[in-house]
Amino acid sequence: MIEKRLLCVLCVVTLLSGCASPASKDGMVIDSIANVQQHNKTVLIKTQGGKETGAADTPNISNNSFSAAIEESVINSGIFTQVIHGDNSDYILNVAIINMSKPLFGASFTVSMEAAWSLSDSVTKKMHWRESITSSHTATMGDSMMGVKRLRLAVEGAARENIRLGLMAISKLDLNSE
Amino acid sequence: MKNRYRIFMHLGLLFIIFLSSGCAVNRATATIDPATNLDDIRYIHVSKLETDNRGVEVLIANKLKQSGYIVDLGDNIPPEADAVITYKDKWVWDITMYMLELTLTVRDPETSFPLASGNSYHTSLSRKDPEEMVDEVISNIFKQEKE
Repeated sequence: MIEKRLLCVLCVVTLLSGCASPASKDGMVIDSIANVQQHNKTVLIKTQGGKETGAADTPNISNNSFSAAIEESVINSGIFTQVIHGDNSDYILNVAIINMSKPLFGASFTVSMEAAWSLSDSVTKKMHWRESITSSHTATMGDSMMGVKRLRLAVEGAARENIRLGLMAISKLDLNSE
Repeated sequence: MKNRYRIFMHLGLLFIIFLSSGCAVNRATATIDPATNLDDIRYIHVSKLETDNRGVEVLIANKLKQSGYIVDLGDNIPPEADAVITYKDKWVWDITMYMLELTLTVRDPETSFPLASGNSYHTSLSRKDPEEMVDEVISNIFKQEKE
């Protein structure tokens, strides 16, 4: 009897856990940044280095969701006046995911991430700023009992922190005098 | 006794599901900074990963030499270096140890800013030799530049 119940629990857990789900935009968005310096400029956001998450994969960040998360974070923080989806922006913000270290097994998952951020003038192509930004986040059993979800939360947390640090660095730039 | 054994087996499976982070996949990708021209690079310093005791840095250096670059492997970055390559390798066991993932980053020697990066990820059934992983990553980075 106990064995049958255990088997049922196992089936349910297996079905619910499945394999990996990709990092979601909402999990990576910054709601606000304290003491942000706003630039009276518009920006175009481009992302690279993201990966789609296959059915039998570990959670990855796609370029689209990473770009959408940065865009929403830029809007929420008010760092730029507008995010442009065409050719008429003042600046181009390029963000490339360079490295993401993910554990394969464990109770606590710590994910570390490096992204290359650069901001250039969209007309003159002059590079105003570029920086390698590293971040990390740990998700514990308290965040989720399921390994795949716990890893996704760690990935999203590392990306969220990376976006926060990147936007804080941009906030400190002197762009309004140009 | 038999029932107890089965219960332990099921608990073991449950334990694996709770603690493991996913399944398996094969992938090879590369990115390059839009303002970077890798054609300008002639002299490359390969920076050894401190925890690497498998000589991956030598494989990287050999592949770069084959591709026509001047390569340096010392502890210090020489002033004439046009780029520095750093790497991260991940090895796992499945009957034998094999390289699961390799990430190579081409960096600015002065600022360490990542100019380009490549990653290969191959799980057990389609595992590759470390030489093949290095070859795949470097080829993808410099192929990306030519595209």
